[in-house]
Amino acid sequence: MDHKQAQDEFSDYLDGTLAQPARAELDQHLAVCIQCRTELAKFRQTLGSLGRLKQTAPATLLTDVKQQIYRRSRGRFFAPRWKLFGRIPFEWISLATIIAMLVYYLAILHGSPTGVRPAP
Amino acid sequence: MSLAERLLIGRLRDRDPSAFEEIVRRYGDKVFNLVYRMLGNRHEAEDITQEVFITVFKTVETFRGEAKFTTWLLRIAANQSKNRIKYLARRPTDTGDVEEAGGPGPGQPATPGPIAHGQIDGPDILMEAAELESLMQKAIASLDEEHRLLVILRDVEELSYQEIGEITGLPEGTIKSRLHRARMAIKEELDRHTR
Repeated sequence: MDHKQAQDEFSDYLDGTLAQPARAELDQHLAVCIQCRTELAKFRQTLGSLGRLKQTAPATLLTDVKQQIYRRSRGRFFAPRWKLFGRIPFEWISLATIIAMLVYYLAILHGSPTGVRPAP
Repeated sequence: MSLAERLLIGRLRDRDPSAFEEIVRRYGDKVFNLVYRMLGNRHEAEDITQEVFITVFKTVETFRGEAKFTTWLLRIAANQSKNRIKYLARRPTDTGDVEEAGGPGPGQPATPGPIAHGQIDGPDILMEAAELESLMQKAIASLDEEHRLLVILRDVEELSYQEIGEITGLPEGTIKSRLHRARMAIKEELDRHTR
């Protein structure tokens, strides 16, 4: 294994996703190669520094977003909505209609005909 | 997606103001950090973070819950950041350059950089931490936006490869190889500055 091959494995090595026997081979190389050990230490340090890059949002974020939404929607976005048309349970209405039609059909099928006099 | 997350999204769809506030409080830092690291400019990052949340509230009806809400949110943040980078690249005279990381924006109180925050005390060390953060930000900015995004999602936001795949639409193998190239480029950039 040369330096280039070793350094190509650094990400997988540190992520813990480098499978055997490649891991063992890299370990062997690192044991004898001070250059790659140094590079690995720098690589690890770089990842550590990246992991500490945290920046908090401005304290005014919530207020700013709210103001933008109010301004763009002219106050309508959070205004109370008429719930009826927003919340009509169409699926339940459809089911109730189907059941009602079925009941009506059965009633017609099994009920005695009305308004018809038996033939003398 | 967890039950609590589903309920929160449901409240958001009903335009419950408390759900809206909860979303901004819960995810504000995460979104801002991603956008800020992508753009390297606090003022631009504040602007885009607001746009991300406005987009989320406007389009929450289209969120079908197939992916995690965080993934969906960060995908919006990533896309808007990339769009802003392209826009700023076309207008180089705008404030698209990388500012001193951790530095206060216009009208902002000075906030310590994250590397310094809560870990060290002395002014020299604070200065050193601020310099390191600035250097890191410049190294990130030296990458193209695709590589930059991968480093930020994996090493700054600490997402899994699966989550990164859902955000970027890239297969895991591609993510890994590009991420490694990006990490090496950052290391080399830091090497150049510390020699």
